[in-house]
Amino acid sequence: MASIDLEKMLVKIKNTQWSLADIDWEAPGAELITEEQWPKLKEFMSDLMWIEHVGARAFAAMAKKAPNDTLREIYSYFHAEEQRHANAEMALMKRWGMLEGDEIPEPNINLRLVIEWLDRYADEMPVYVLGTVVPMLEIALDGALCTFLLETVDDPVCHQAFEKINDDESRHLGVGFTVMEMQGHGKTYIKTVQMLAPLLDPRLLLGIASYFPLLNKMRDNVVAMGLPEEKLYAAMNKFEKIGGRTADGRRNPWFQIIRHHARFVVDRSNRAYHVPVDAIVRLTGYIPRRALPAVPSWVKELTYRPAA
Amino acid sequence: MSTVSETRKPRRKAAARKTSSAKRVKSQAEAVVSRSEVLIIGAGFAGLGSAIRLRQQGIDDIVILERATDVGGTWRDNTYPGAACDIPSNLYSFSFAQNPDWSRSFSGGSEILRYVHHLADHYQLRPLVRFEHNVESMQYDEQQGVWRVQTSKGLFEGRSIVMAQGPLSNASLPNITGIEDYQGHKIHSAMWDHDYDFTGKRVAVVGTGASGIQIIPELVRKAGFVKVFQRTPGWVLPRPDFETPGWNKALFRRLPASQDALRKALYLFHESVALGIIWDTPLTGLVERIGRMHLRMQVKDRWLRRQLTPDFRIGCKRVLMSSDYYPALQKENCKLITWPIARLSEKGIRTVEGIEHQFDCIVFATGFDVSHSGTPFPVTGRDGRVLGEEWSGGAQAYKSINVSGYPNLYMTFGPNSGPGHNSALVYMEAQIDYLVRGIQTLRERKLKALDVKPDAQRAFNRDIQRRLAKTNWNSGCKSWYLTEDGFNATMFPGFATQFARQMAEFDMGDYTLSPV
Repeated sequence: MASIDLEKMLVKIKNTQWSLADIDWEAPGAELITEEQWPKLKEFMSDLMWIEHVGARAFAAMAKKAPNDTLREIYSYFHAEEQRHANAEMALMKRWGMLEGDEIPEPNINLRLVIEWLDRYADEMPVYVLGTVVPMLEIALDGALCTFLLETVDDPVCHQAFEKINDDESRHLGVGFTVMEMQGHGKTYIKTVQMLAPLLDPRLLLGIASYFPLLNKMRDNVVAMGLPEEKLYAAMNKFEKIGGRTADGRRNPWFQIIRHHARFVVDRSNRAYHVPVDAIVRLTGYIPRRALPAVPSWVKELTYRPAA
Repeated sequence: MSTVSETRKPRRKAAARKTSSAKRVKSQAEAVVSRSEVLIIGAGFAGLGSAIRLRQQGIDDIVILERATDVGGTWRDNTYPGAACDIPSNLYSFSFAQNPDWSRSFSGGSEILRYVHHLADHYQLRPLVRFEHNVESMQYDEQQGVWRVQTSKGLFEGRSIVMAQGPLSNASLPNITGIEDYQGHKIHSAMWDHDYDFTGKRVAVVGTGASGIQIIPELVRKAGFVKVFQRTPGWVLPRPDFETPGWNKALFRRLPASQDALRKALYLFHESVALGIIWDTPLTGLVERIGRMHLRMQVKDRWLRRQLTPDFRIGCKRVLMSSDYYPALQKENCKLITWPIARLSEKGIRTVEGIEHQFDCIVFATGFDVSHSGTPFPVTGRDGRVLGEEWSGGAQAYKSINVSGYPNLYMTFGPNSGPGHNSALVYMEAQIDYLVRGIQTLRERKLKALDVKPDAQRAFNRDIQRRLAKTNWNSGCKSWYLTEDGFNATMFPGFATQFARQMAEFDMGDYTLSPV
């Protein structure tokens, strides 16, 4: 896959917009969700919806740091599109009777910590850091989870919504990998070291401290729901394959970092990684909710209603 | 400002050419309604100010062509709630016609309009104005040395022309997909519908530029719910607006020198602001800090503050002044939407986050169709040249007022005369005094035409563009000051004092003189 023309991509993005109102959320098919599926699906959808929302916030941060106007506008659209995905997934939950009134599903503690980090520090991060992490999250979690969902849920409205969501996601990934290559283009030794410098930034270290357990927690969650672990790993390997397809991509030091980290995650036998990270997952489970500050107001923008 | 791309122009050029040739043929056959020494187009501040100064110099043979039914220009058209000037009234008025009775430091639109009416009445200008005369085209007759101006009500001739139609006189609706599909009420800020009752209504305001931020607090007071659609947040500085105490008015009446002194002080203060706004200097950081502090003091929520924080250098776009915009956005019945607009639908606005926001009324505070490269009507000069065509790559003039090949034609707010930091009327007065001198010269030297030399115009523009390159306007953000290609045909790169000095000198060596 060659790098894409971002100008053309922006036009395409603008021309392929859709709304929740384009889908008939009352159409028959909701009854195809089995009683057995329902409780697991509720948790699954809630996690999925929050990942989309977290991705949205990351794109908002990237829009602030984008190296040019076109990319800035693309990221502003992606920010809104990820929010649209979260809204559509909430609309599905509403359809399936998984939301009480106007309730927003509660994020798990690890997502909650990531939300807190994004709110405080994401805007300060260089674009190449989030620009590498986000495609990883999208391809691994979004990609694997969405495929799994469509394989297990028969409701045609769900398929209709995810067809649109997947179209958006393929554009997000196309841009994501192109930007990773752009960031790796013509890298000299000095520039590479400069790009790695944020690793010493305590704010980024905090981000890493919330990102690592999130991945393990999500792995545990999806496995509990019946998704074969290998599917998640296959999706993560796809990141390595696509991200490393060109010399520019491979030269991006953040691609190398994320790729190596993905290998740790995939390798269950790597106890040096998984024992401490799993311990953090357990530890974070003890954090009392009330110890956390109030959720940032951007979280309250979520809605399942097609019209407001 | 603003939001959403403005509707533009390329179509206009072709249409203009067509109309122009058609009119040319027509004009030769048609009887002339009126011949005068000076024809002024537009009865706003610039048109009326020109007429006053011309008369003061003994030039009385003036006709003013006005497309509307009253004087007032932009202040007659912009009557939206909250309309006000963001330059203090004592500076936003003519130095030769000061008003000691301004009710506030920043007077509202209706009071400014009353001042314009006062000018028209006090100086007895109304008899000069031909109302409901919309200019359709104009053409220079080189042999006779006169301009023929085709209006909706016949042909007018004038030796000299003052194009004072204003740069911000044509309202523009944004180029949003589906704008025709929306079935609710649509209002443009520059064509306010005073009959529409906002009470209890769901209202959208598209655009958060100079007019948007004035309308929003007023609508929030009245409407049921207001959603504000913002594309790019601007820099908003506090506006110290207060009522003028009675003693102050009395002082100005009894001792006009005190008002002169205040005016001078305001002028110098605004001149100093240029250092922070026009160029990137240490003061720029200071003014930005004031903007950020204003935001921090008025907005407590971190995300909302982020949404309202500009990501361009202050001055690059128009600096906004308001102390009640941020509080209005945080009222219970108001919400800021920063999602990009995908399209308009039958019932409202669909944004990219997938939601259809439904409204009873959409207010477009999306500004004006600023002519960077065209003219509002076809202007044909010597040898059939068409100004819109010559300006297709960006408008250029000599000292913002004359264009080579278009003799005896003067423009107020022509190319590169826009101020970013001081009263537009200071610039306008300098232009008016210049054009009065030109018209006087024509009369005193018994000349047929005064045409600026192309070399002088080229040299002037080289210098202007060189200076513009160093300004904040050309520092990378998109604004209505620039053409799509980033050419700045709008702003003057300097202090108002420098502009006044530029206009104070009438260099005859830069003109070709044609005797009668």
